[in-house]
Amino acid sequence: MGKAKPANNDMLRGTLDMMVLRTLIAGDAHGHTIAKIIERTSDDVLEVEQGSLYPSLHRLENRGWVSSYWGLSEMNRRARFYRLTAAGRKQLRSEVSRWQQMAKAIGLVMGETMNEGGGE
Amino acid sequence: MNPRRFFRRKYWDAERLEEMQSFIDHETEDNIACGMNAVEARRQACLKFGNPQKVREEIWRMNSIEPLQTLLRDLRYAWRSLLHNPGYTLLAILTLGLGIGANTAIFTVINGVLLRPLPYVREGRIVHVLQTEQKTGSDDLGLSVQEYSDYRDQSHSFSDFAEYHSMLFTLLGTKTPERVVTGVVSSKFFDVLGVKPVLGRLFVPADEKRDAAPVLVLSYAYWMKEFGGDPGVIGRTFEMNDRVHTVVGVLPPLPDYPDANEIYMPVSSCPYRMDPDMIRNRDMRMISAYARLKPGVSLREADAELNGITARMAKAWPKSYNGWKAFAASAIPVRQELTHGARPTFLALLGASGLVLLLACANLANLAWSRQLRRSREIAIRMATGASTGRIMRQLMTESLLVALAGAAIGLGIAAAGSKLLVAYAQRLTPLAGGIHVDVWVLLFGVGSSLLAGLLFAILPAIVASRTRLTALNDGGERAAGSETGTRTRNVLVALQVALSFVLLTSAGLMMRSLYNLLSVDPGFRPAQVLSMQLSLNWTKYKKDSDQLNFYHQVLDRAESMPGVQGASISWMAPLNENNPTFNGPVKLQGQPLPAGTPAPNVDFETASPDYFRVLGVPVLAGRTFTESDGPQAPPVLIVNARMARHYWPNENAIGHRLQPGNSDKWWTVVGVVGDVREYGLDKAPSDTVYVPLDQNPIQNAHLLVRTRSDPMLLASAMAAMIHQIDPQQPVTQVRTLEQMRAAQLGTPRVTATLLSLFAAAALFITIVGVSGTLALSVARRSREIGIRMALGATRENILQVVLRQGMQPVLAGLVLGALVSLFATRAMTQMIFGLKPDDAKTFMGIAALFFVVALVSCAVPARRAMHIDPMETLRSE
Repeated sequence: MGKAKPANNDMLRGTLDMMVLRTLIAGDAHGHTIAKIIERTSDDVLEVEQGSLYPSLHRLENRGWVSSYWGLSEMNRRARFYRLTAAGRKQLRSEVSRWQQMAKAIGLVMGETMNEGGGE
Repeated sequence: MNPRRFFRRKYWDAERLEEMQSFIDHETEDNIACGMNAVEARRQACLKFGNPQKVREEIWRMNSIEPLQTLLRDLRYAWRSLLHNPGYTLLAILTLGLGIGANTAIFTVINGVLLRPLPYVREGRIVHVLQTEQKTGSDDLGLSVQEYSDYRDQSHSFSDFAEYHSMLFTLLGTKTPERVVTGVVSSKFFDVLGVKPVLGRLFVPADEKRDAAPVLVLSYAYWMKEFGGDPGVIGRTFEMNDRVHTVVGVLPPLPDYPDANEIYMPVSSCPYRMDPDMIRNRDMRMISAYARLKPGVSLREADAELNGITARMAKAWPKSYNGWKAFAASAIPVRQELTHGARPTFLALLGASGLVLLLACANLANLAWSRQLRRSREIAIRMATGASTGRIMRQLMTESLLVALAGAAIGLGIAAAGSKLLVAYAQRLTPLAGGIHVDVWVLLFGVGSSLLAGLLFAILPAIVASRTRLTALNDGGERAAGSETGTRTRNVLVALQVALSFVLLTSAGLMMRSLYNLLSVDPGFRPAQVLSMQLSLNWTKYKKDSDQLNFYHQVLDRAESMPGVQGASISWMAPLNENNPTFNGPVKLQGQPLPAGTPAPNVDFETASPDYFRVLGVPVLAGRTFTESDGPQAPPVLIVNARMARHYWPNENAIGHRLQPGNSDKWWTVVGVVGDVREYGLDKAPSDTVYVPLDQNPIQNAHLLVRTRSDPMLLASAMAAMIHQIDPQQPVTQVRTLEQMRAAQLGTPRVTATLLSLFAAAALFITIVGVSGTLALSVARRSREIGIRMALGATRENILQVVLRQGMQPVLAGLVLGALVSLFATRAMTQMIFGLKPDDAKTFMGIAALFFVVALVSCAVPARRAMHIDPMETLRSE
């Protein structure tokens, strides 16, 4: 469990909402699963801070991008499940395209440095 | 942000907490699956999750609306701190409520009378055209038909020009014969006002033709009262002046202006107006003119044009305007005419109630300030724990505004009840009193003024709070109350309060003395136990003089033989009747020829039957009263009043002198001199009056006056029945006792004086509380100093002197300031007071003395406490 904390946690915070929505494409999930999926699919690079996961879920639900219900988890425990709504799907699409533009832009700016770094 | 969430914060908090709990459970199970023991697994799970409290707080904040939350918190806190000090709270709310209530009640009247638009189209353009002359001052002379035609035909300032007069006619066709107040108008009249009928039509030019079929328009009030709003009234016929009139329309509800007309008829239907003599004669002024200004024409331009016409008239008919001085015509906006009676009174009352509210605010500020000083320790703690000055100010404002709103609630209640009483009062002053009721503007005024008051009395404590230093924590805050600047501010506040209430008290004092003057005016007759009723004969039925006299004699004979009657008389007017039209004219005196160019002296005329002076209790000073022998064929006689006798025959006996009333060709001999009577009002001095006997000067409109042995009203219905025995169609109107008429005359000044006195009493009370409260606080604060002084040998008398001087200094300063302000302020009351000047020295001195004594007494309580301070005890306790 003792993983090194990624340095740029702030970046995660801004994109957490997007990643949560992305996670829910695969199907309904509860908070614990969502956190685990994000951590696992990022090869444990991204550690979801619980202090921001729940406010994020609350915010998404407030905006109507996800809906929630109580259900039984795979461990047979009560858990709150989240489901992506149509509005959430739309939001995800626009966030993803925004993210890709951003990543591309950052890639263009950082390209030289990365090459230099790789060349060393 | 979804505002619905705001009200479900608790629910979401519980939900998320449970959810987070579920997360830790899952994590724990994961950890156990990884081989940890149960305790370690839970510990790691909790570690991984971190502090759930932080998450809860963040979610709670997300669900909150920040400013609203703060407001709610402030309100809750204010509520608690006010409950903590119920005495202060109750006093503050009541004081404010009374102040707001008085202001809002007066404002309700002002809103209904002065501010609400009239139900006319573009009311600002509607004017009343009047003629004035030096002798009548600003009173309208009226217009003759000739003069009216001149103004109408020669002026270009007006788009519509209409004539108007009001008369009583007998209307036959309803259940009983009725005298109805009839507005006689030209067809343009309703165009001038811009009024549309609610039913049928109004008058058209064709109705004005001499041979047009007679038509009537009903006023809304009369339609409701007499026909219950039945639309079938259109087309119904009624007999008036021996002609059949058809109802063609109904007016919308309108103010009783120019008169409380029940029905309207076109000029062609009025027999008096259509009399060829009336139309020809330039000197018979019985009509008024109303007009609508053309767009872009100013009042001044209209006045200038009218006066040009006046000048031309005076030149063209020198005989008619011989000896007239300052003959002028002017256009007066109708709004001014409708409100000029009420405006000064209600503005003065609003000023008075406003002053009371200001005083209340000053006192509350003082009170809240003392409270604030006691709380400075609490404020210091709040500041020490991180509250900003703004935050604390806002907290204090919330507290005062809460008090202010509670005050507004009470005030609006008082206003709703009070304005009902004020309507009756306003009715005496303006025809617009019907429009007085609580509306949105009144609510806004009430709430607005209380919020303003709340802000006013919150400012001082807020400033004190903002200056609070953390040192207040050391000495418990009590010492802050002793600061020099604090005392000085307090004294200035007290002096201002004294000055303001002095202004109010002098105004009330002037009104009271004016009322007393009116009450003690000798009207010249004894009003007690005299019944008055108006008998206006139907002119078509009693055409001949002998018919009229015959009717009056029958009435007098029967009245005098009724049990309980001491005497009865017929006269043209009843004294002190507010609706008395003036009846005056020139007289020639035998043996006193006038220098050429001097107009003949003008006197009032009154017709009286023989018993008139006995019934009214007017003393006969010389000669005799009229007798039965002064009949139509007997030599003409008259009686003059004492003023006239003194005026024209200063050093001789008036009896035997002869004079000639303007329209008579005979010489009338003076046979008696009677005491002066105030015919037109208690505040109007008697004028030169000539009485002529009824039999020699028959009249169509008369008053029957009956002196009774007991309560006159008991005889009222018997009298009416007796008159109906003689003529079943004869209307009997305005049945009142002379005492009631006198009371009606006193009604307005009495209510004004009472209201002002109530305000003044409230002001005095509030101020005295302020004076003694401030002194008491200062004595409490200085108890140590006083103790030391006593220990050093000061006598109780010394202490008393010091304390009294301290208490009375601001009072005296305030009195001087108040007297100076009053000298200017009371000038506005010149029109409202009778028999004294607005800078009446007696009133000023009296009020100052009263104030001084009351203040001294109120200072005595704290002074006594100061005298009884035990030096040992005080020194020990410090």
